[in-house]
Amino acid sequence: MVNRLTKLLRFTPVVPLVWVLGQVISSGQTAPAKPPSDTAFQKEVRPFLTNTCFGCHNAKVRSAGIDLQAFTTAESIAKDAGTWELAVRKMRSGEMPPPPLPRPKAEDLATVTDWIEQEFERADRLAGPNPGRVTARRLNRAEYNNTIRDLLGVDFRPADDFPQDDSGYGFDTIGDVLSLPPVLLEKYLTAAETAVRTALFGPAAIKPTMIRYQPHLRRPPPPPSLTDYDFTGLSLPSALSTKHRFPADAEYVFKIQLNGQRPGGSEPLKVAAWIDAEQVKTFEVDGADLEGMTVEFKSKVTAGDHLVSVSFLKQFHGLPTRFGGPEPSKRPEPARRFPGGGGAPPAAAGAKPPADPAKPPVEAAKLPIEPAKPAVAPAKPAGGNRQVSLAGRVNALDIGGPFEPVLAPSQVSRKKILVCGHLEPGAHVEGCDRKILSAMARRAYRRAITRAEVDELVAIAAKARQRGENYEESVAVALQGILISPHFLFRIERASAPTSTANNALIPISNFELASRLSYFLWSSTPDDELLHVAERGTLKQPAVLRAQLRRMLADDKARALVENFGGQWLQIRALESVKPDWEKFEQFDDYLRESMRRETELFLQDLIRNDRSVTDLLDAKYTYLNERLARFYDIKGVEGQGFRKVDLTGTPRGGLLTHASVLTVSSYATRTSPVLRGKWILENILNAPPPPAPPDVPALEDATVGTTATLREQMEKHRSNAVCASCHSRMDPLGFALENFDAIGAWRDKDGKFPIDSSGKLPDGRSFKNLDELKVILRADKEELATAVTEKLMIFGLGRGMERYDRRTIKEIVKRSSSTDYKFSSILYEIVRSMPFQMRKGEKSRT
Amino acid sequence: MIITGKHLPRRTFLRGVGAAIALPMLDAMRPAFAAGTAAGPVRLAFTYIPNGATMKEWTPTAFGKDYALTRILKPLEPFRNDFNILTGLAHKNANALGDGGGDHARAGACFLTGVHPKKTDGADISVGISTDQIVAQALSGKTRFASLELGCEDTRTVGNCDTGYSCAYTNSISWRSESTPLPPETNPRMVFERLFGAEDLSLDPETRARRQASRRSILDMARGQTERIMGKLGPADQRKIDEYLTAVREIEKRIESAENQQKQVNPGMEKPAGVPMEFSEYLKLMFDLQVVAFQTDMTRVATLMVGREGSVRTYPEIGVPDPHHPTSHHRNLAEQIEKITKINVFHAGLFAYFLGKLKATKDGDGTLLDNSMIVYGSAIADGNRHTHEDLPILVAGRGGGKLQPGRHIQYATETPVTNLYLSLLDHMGVQPEKIGDSTGKLSYLAEL
Repeated sequence: MVNRLTKLLRFTPVVPLVWVLGQVISSGQTAPAKPPSDTAFQKEVRPFLTNTCFGCHNAKVRSAGIDLQAFTTAESIAKDAGTWELAVRKMRSGEMPPPPLPRPKAEDLATVTDWIEQEFERADRLAGPNPGRVTARRLNRAEYNNTIRDLLGVDFRPADDFPQDDSGYGFDTIGDVLSLPPVLLEKYLTAAETAVRTALFGPAAIKPTMIRYQPHLRRPPPPPSLTDYDFTGLSLPSALSTKHRFPADAEYVFKIQLNGQRPGGSEPLKVAAWIDAEQVKTFEVDGADLEGMTVEFKSKVTAGDHLVSVSFLKQFHGLPTRFGGPEPSKRPEPARRFPGGGGAPPAAAGAKPPADPAKPPVEAAKLPIEPAKPAVAPAKPAGGNRQVSLAGRVNALDIGGPFEPVLAPSQVSRKKILVCGHLEPGAHVEGCDRKILSAMARRAYRRAITRAEVDELVAIAAKARQRGENYEESVAVALQGILISPHFLFRIERASAPTSTANNALIPISNFELASRLSYFLWSSTPDDELLHVAERGTLKQPAVLRAQLRRMLADDKARALVENFGGQWLQIRALESVKPDWEKFEQFDDYLRESMRRETELFLQDLIRNDRSVTDLLDAKYTYLNERLARFYDIKGVEGQGFRKVDLTGTPRGGLLTHASVLTVSSYATRTSPVLRGKWILENILNAPPPPAPPDVPALEDATVGTTATLREQMEKHRSNAVCASCHSRMDPLGFALENFDAIGAWRDKDGKFPIDSSGKLPDGRSFKNLDELKVILRADKEELATAVTEKLMIFGLGRGMERYDRRTIKEIVKRSSSTDYKFSSILYEIVRSMPFQMRKGEKSRT
Repeated sequence: MIITGKHLPRRTFLRGVGAAIALPMLDAMRPAFAAGTAAGPVRLAFTYIPNGATMKEWTPTAFGKDYALTRILKPLEPFRNDFNILTGLAHKNANALGDGGGDHARAGACFLTGVHPKKTDGADISVGISTDQIVAQALSGKTRFASLELGCEDTRTVGNCDTGYSCAYTNSISWRSESTPLPPETNPRMVFERLFGAEDLSLDPETRARRQASRRSILDMARGQTERIMGKLGPADQRKIDEYLTAVREIEKRIESAENQQKQVNPGMEKPAGVPMEFSEYLKLMFDLQVVAFQTDMTRVATLMVGREGSVRTYPEIGVPDPHHPTSHHRNLAEQIEKITKINVFHAGLFAYFLGKLKATKDGDGTLLDNSMIVYGSAIADGNRHTHEDLPILVAGRGGGKLQPGRHIQYATETPVTNLYLSLLDHMGVQPEKIGDSTGKLSYLAEL
């Protein structure tokens, strides 16, 4: 995989960095710019504004503090782009002029708004290059965790206990929005202490605790078929899967509580326990009633998050012959008496009499599945839907520990810190503290450090010794000091700049700053030794070096952070964590499915990056990554077990992100699908055309009574008869309707309620499609929009600021240049990291 | 939850992910503040409910003392003499005022500030300092924690929070300054550890003292570093680094006051294991923590967000499996309105638990409820139309005798909510000139 990426990077012609920078700069100076058309302004625009806007937005009334009348010349418009962009947006969305004022004629409105936009573009061409300003960025939670891991070699995710980071522009990397309340500094203090002490002296002993996990469903539904089911049991609702955080490398105890019944005369059942995808233990349990049965085992587990599952292996095998399941039991079935039924089998209250054992097994296999009318007094009122229990279920899982944890420090950590080479406590010699502290400060501050800075740290350690700390303890104190320093917690880019920098000057960021931008972009973590080394040599900005570093970094396992943090926020699959689909309607949805959905999309994106595919694959790739659970959910055969693997989707209705259950779930409500939400999702994330907010006082289009009275489509078409609503909904809704064959958790359906699904649609530009596959063809034709969306989102995430007007040229240029590779992911990334906004910043006068 | 050796007592097993067990208050608990004083200090708390309320099921028809409790307020019946319902209050700055959509973000940001937040997705977020923080800053140093910010909804959000507004506006109702939100702590265990220390008490006192001294020395270094770079920064960076500096100073102060307060505070409750799975248990636990924080005088000011504005929490346990926010756009359909009402009743019932707890807790000569002022409500009235006047607001407690509860009071339409806050702050001995859009103090809170 890496090879393909390498090839691409090697054979793309090397273009000097200045190309992107130079292009922008020269266009600013030499592009011929026509003067604004004052005639058009005076003849068409201003009269329209006079009639439409000046009634309120004049010097006297200044509605919302805005005086549009003051703009008397064509030139003045573009000079206040902020005001006029807002005006254009409000006129187009129908917010302005506000009802009950008459709505201007659509063509007049279009002429005027188009003219204003042309003015902006003209002004943009005239304006000088502007790399924008990035506010000092505090490490966010993911970055803090990864940085501590990479600096100290301890991976205990301290930031998971920090307050949530605020986000802006859809990402949690925005310097302006990441604030630092006192409570967070408290946590930094504690985290620094724990991290350093764990690395140097080993983890603190943790008191064992026990946590209980229980499934949502008290009584899981039976399988769809006795002959074709998940033999591992992992995909069945009788199993239980949960992610558990193991606080230390130690031994843990697992107690499994069972419940449920099994027909008398069945073979014994096998209970299996899994940690991650590995089967770690099996038990045999025998008996008709499993209620109250408990099995337990111990296992050593490494610290961190692991998926723990308990299931029944082949649980519908070995049933008495009359059930028609596979490998029927050889045991005799006990004769039992049942109320009202003589020798009837254990059909529980509610099942219909058993099929004749002589009947073919296939038919018999269907028996327990049909919710039958009660033959005897029902245990529950009508509709209670009680069914035959053919097997047990996992009632609860208790995980207790840690016991006998590993308390010694990791030698990897000690090596990372004790660069003087004295790994045995007490072996340090004079000057070790200086070496250790300057090495760590350089790595933690991500730059060369000054002598004064090291002196200060050495003094902190010396003072600690005076208080009675031993040598390593005293170094630990100074190391903690490094980890709460603003130079560590923030990425401040201008501290080293000359204080008298003029406003708006173009300032290249330093090599070290570029190294940090790269590593936090691709790894959500600190630069490694090699990157720092290259930065120190001052060669990082050379195109060949930059390209090589990018290639190296993407191939590194740490690049998974890009998938998790960028992908997770861009595609909003982070929201999966908190979605709560209605249990009654979507009983299949449990944490195992939730986790599987997330993994599918992450692995899919990882594949895209690792194998350097075109971003257009996002739309219609005929492959994905599945485990048995998700494959069964998608009705795809031949995928067994917990592990994920690449699966060919040819011949299935799936393919591309839009058919991932993760995406379909996060763009739905808890009880139903919403074509509006899904359409909006596509517009925002795939087509780069986010719809403007709904005008005030017009409630967002609701689609609550889907499938009950009229079809949703009819209701929404009615809604769109309102011109203001139609302007956006005619774009959003058809896109969303194309996905209606997938329910609110992404399962396939042919009908919604009693209405058959119609997934056809017509876009405002006239292109129409019969179904999702045809829509994908249309979207693929618009791949430039997709590439633009990906580029823009990557830039926001990587730079840590929103995109502004002045960024448009850069984005356009990046998209244009990456089109030669059909928008391969690495080419977009490469163009971004060498672009002006990524390598420069706008000067700003400091307030000294 | 804590087990000794390998014996695992079944009865203390936790249910669900990090669930916690019910926590009875121990009789041994004693307020930590000046023993012997008759009256405890006045405490102030705000409980925010998102997405508005069904107002016809909230607002009683009669006024004064002898009004009939409505369906939503019914769960508060046992405490009807302990709160005033205030009808007619408004948050005009939560309205669009030319900014278009985004009423939820504005409501959340406006609730305690009374200020119209700047519409921005990130750069230059700005609203006002919140009421709780005005008091917190004025009382700074009197208690170990100036204030406590709690929430029952993980603020992890994805994408945009509300049309063009940064998530900061919906994630926090407390604002330390106009640009620094104070995100609520949503994990009960973290709240507990913050209040009562995560410190390893198994260490000997000398080691603990040395560690404390180390902390001070590195904070001192951090302050020095920060002050040195400050001058070299542009205004935006300076604002960020200033937040850091303020935090450093605050913690230095806290360490000092903790050292002066030699005695160990007994919280009288077990450390919660994490976030309980059941929402009602979760919210109750957060209320418990507030009660304990007040009782031990760790702080006198607290805010609690039952949910973020625009919350999409579902409530299957009370028959509302639908997400809260979309349901609140009920389009006047009876069925939808009923669901919102159910959520409102549910929240009020849990708030009643809080009041009960406060009332059952001795404080000075009276109860904690006597010495508290608890504002409960929302900055949205009708969730369907996003109205910000005639808000659902009630204030519970006697404020140490300054409030006269037990009534339904009607105020002139569009009386700013901030007028109420101005009065409450006055009872805490804090007299800002103005809070957001306030026009003066609110009358009739004390008189019958």
